[in-house]
Amino acid sequence: MSVGLPAYNTLVVVGGVAAVGLAAGIVGSLALLRKRPLVADAAAHCTLAGAALAVLVTGRRDLPALLTGALAAALAGLAALVLLRRFTRTRDDAATALVIGVGFGVGLALESGMTARGVAGAAGLENFLLGHAAALTARDAGLVAAVSAAVVAVVALGLKEATLVAFDPDFAAASGWPVALVDQAVVVLVAVMAVAGLPAAGAVLVTALVIIPPVAARQWTDRVAPLVIVSGAIGLVAAVAGVAASAVAPRVADRLGLAPPRGLATGPLVVLAATAILAVSVVVGRLRRRRGADHG
Amino acid sequence: MTAAAPLLEFHDVTVAYGRRPVLWNVDLTIDEPCLFGVIGPNGAGKSTLLKAALGLVPLMDGTVSFLGRPLAAVRSQVGYVPQRETVDWDFPVSVMDVVLMGTYARLGWFRRPGVRERTLARECLDRVGLADVADRQIGKLSGGQQQRVFLARALAQEARIYLLDEPLAGVDARTQERIFAVLAGLRAEGRLVVVVHHDLRTAAEWFDRVALVDMRLVAAGPTAAVLTPDNLQATYAGRAELLDELSRAVAERSRTP
Repeated sequence: MSVGLPAYNTLVVVGGVAAVGLAAGIVGSLALLRKRPLVADAAAHCTLAGAALAVLVTGRRDLPALLTGALAAALAGLAALVLLRRFTRTRDDAATALVIGVGFGVGLALESGMTARGVAGAAGLENFLLGHAAALTARDAGLVAAVSAAVVAVVALGLKEATLVAFDPDFAAASGWPVALVDQAVVVLVAVMAVAGLPAAGAVLVTALVIIPPVAARQWTDRVAPLVIVSGAIGLVAAVAGVAASAVAPRVADRLGLAPPRGLATGPLVVLAATAILAVSVVVGRLRRRRGADHG
Repeated sequence: MTAAAPLLEFHDVTVAYGRRPVLWNVDLTIDEPCLFGVIGPNGAGKSTLLKAALGLVPLMDGTVSFLGRPLAAVRSQVGYVPQRETVDWDFPVSVMDVVLMGTYARLGWFRRPGVRERTLARECLDRVGLADVADRQIGKLSGGQQQRVFLARALAQEARIYLLDEPLAGVDARTQERIFAVLAGLRAEGRLVVVVHHDLRTAAEWFDRVALVDMRLVAAGPTAAVLTPDNLQATYAGRAELLDELSRAVAERSRTP
């Protein structure tokens, strides 16, 4: 196959994945500032069950249906998290681990049960496990891009409020801000991005797309607005690099005369790309701090 | 009824954390602008008293009113300085960013600080002597400077009543003097300044009026009338390690009328 202009479809998919990476990095920076990064993990691990139930209940297997089910399950998981903390005196970390384990267990049980029984659409669920961006249609990519754009707009609007609540919730509450409401809004945004990131990174690894970019971005800056922007940029680059690698890898293998890997999952490659950026960022951050210390 | 409602009034306030009572039946009225010290041993419920007033902990019983009205009606008139340890000083914000937070309530939802807010924040930083570190990340400041950042943020609230939780904890003597100079300035402008404080000696020196708190209100009124050996005994009873400090404080106070 000759290397020509990339197909329109490929461009749209890359654009959608780029938007998801950008929005995940931006929302992730809010989760990190509020010191609740694991909320993303709890939400993500519940999504598989929601997508499976969506297939079973509605019989549909298009992306909007799957993602709607996934979002409902993610929000249910987060509600369970709140209830566990409030009514069972379970600590935050234990409650999170519980939701992750149970949510993911239910999802895997449903998915494997449906595959075994040959339920139509069960195969599509597998793509949600580790991410399979190549399976996206242009229309699906447009959907996740639109959701991502909406999320970015909300963050841009409420960054002042989110920053205040994350930095000093007592002061915020004392001066009249509804701290719980702002917190819930951030959590819902995180859940939405965990769901929108599913096609690209999968339920197991989408958390990395939310958490690694802000951790890396924190190494580059000491201010909130630059942190949010850099985090979004890192998410974008990691997502696009991961998807590109998964698209190129089979061709490279083909050229080298190796057996081309089939249906290569994008999630792990996205995480590897993000981790590489994190490694560079940590080195830069150390240098930056040392230079700052020299200058007093 | 009198023309002017009390600036701050606690009526029968009782607070409990779970089943553990922290404050019992506190009745306290502050009518006039002054420097008001809330004094008591560790765990006496001093901070809880402020948090109860600000609605940060639920009241089991009783009411708190500012200017004769509930907090929700006069929130913009009430400024707050939380304890320094309650926030993460590695948070990626500059000194200026934090002081600007004092203007957020007035700005309301989604509006960003503009020229007016920045000018105000700069003036507040100037008042606490931190204008030259406005752009520094807050973690790079000393403890005393961090405390003054919190004070500047409260100044930016432009409130009539200020509640400060241990603003002098862990800062050196010079910073204490600076902070008190700012608080005295607020009093001179006719504002009420309520300070939770743990050091009896400086309390006797600095506050116009004090309340002695030990899970209940032991005594309240003009400093000289309240910090008597009997009241201090009642507040700090059973805390032998404090007896030295107490006697020193009382002796010093009686030397300087």
